[in-house]
Amino acid sequence: MAAPSKATVVLKAVKKITIQFCPFESNVRSTREFLTLVGSEKARTTNMNCEVIPVVKHDKSEPIVDITYVDGEKLLMKGANLTCSEMLSAFQSRCVAKDPQAKVGEKK
Amino acid sequence: MAATLCSKLLPKQGWLPLTQSVRHGSKAVTRHRKPLHIQKQKLLAVTQYIPPAREFPPGAYPSQTKRVQEDNDLTLLMKRELKKLFEDCKMIAVVQNSSSSAEDMMTLRHLLYKHNITVKFFPNKVVRSFLSDSIYCNMGPLFVGPTVMFVSKEPKVKEMLTTLRGSPQMTLLGACIDNTLLSAQGIVSYSKLPSMTVIQGEVVSGLSMLTSHTAYLLQRHPAHLSQLLQQYIKQQSSDGSAEAAPKAEEAT
Repeated sequence: MAAPSKATVVLKAVKKITIQFCPFESNVRSTREFLTLVGSEKARTTNMNCEVIPVVKHDKSEPIVDITYVDGEKLLMKGANLTCSEMLSAFQSRCVAKDPQAKVGEKK
Repeated sequence: MAATLCSKLLPKQGWLPLTQSVRHGSKAVTRHRKPLHIQKQKLLAVTQYIPPAREFPPGAYPSQTKRVQEDNDLTLLMKRELKKLFEDCKMIAVVQNSSSSAEDMMTLRHLLYKHNITVKFFPNKVVRSFLSDSIYCNMGPLFVGPTVMFVSKEPKVKEMLTTLRGSPQMTLLGACIDNTLLSAQGIVSYSKLPSMTVIQGEVVSGLSMLTSHTAYLLQRHPAHLSQLLQQYIKQQSSDGSAEAAPKAEEAT
């Protein structure tokens, strides 16, 4: 329930994030928390070109997070049985792998 | 630094030993762990804490007895306000804002206030406990995370949708309009519905269509007959006038 890692979400290497979920299902809590983190002002200011698109559906489908990176790679996360921190760590590890220079620059 | 001298107590009474010494000469506070006295060791071993044997780890299963927390006064106040809100307002929409700055909120509230839509914030726990008691229990799962409620007396869905389209970070989750729970697509299709008068006109015309068709069918034969007769009369009159004209010409 608590917000995972203190590090802000850096979206520099990300082109588009599509988050689709059905709010009447019971397994969408982690996906919604992920949306809150990724769509926050701080995260959006790191990259103004990155689009965060939430899609609300009502067909009992699983919650899905679809991330498209700048170099064309796609990451698909099915959030039905994942916690928010797991999703965030997977996402951030890939971001850091793609853009280590930006991360190192920030840390310095 | 410790003095190690032998301690000998002379057996005879009244004799004080000439030299007194302490055998194990470490001080009270040592850098190493001082070996415990055998009696203290025994006591500790006997009185050691043995925890009760658990079959399963403590967090594995949910607790059987759910502690019912009494509502404090603020919660009661908020519940009363919620009840009044649900009774007064026809439209209650639930929106998740993943982020919006204070200025965005201000502009949004201003735009919505023009259409008499108020923005309300309530703590999720209070809302969910209230909803689970009332008839609106199916709205419960909507209230997770940072949510905002838009309430209004009149269901002004189109204006709300256009306003929300302007702010990308607000996600419309669902709404309760006229005591009917609607999803996001439901809200969109609700906004596309025509007004009541138009619908009533359509229903009336649809119902009366059948009866008018029946009436037409019943009247078809006499109508056809009357048309034919009229046509015959016209022909007769035109023939008659055609005959009368040459006769008149002949006469003159």
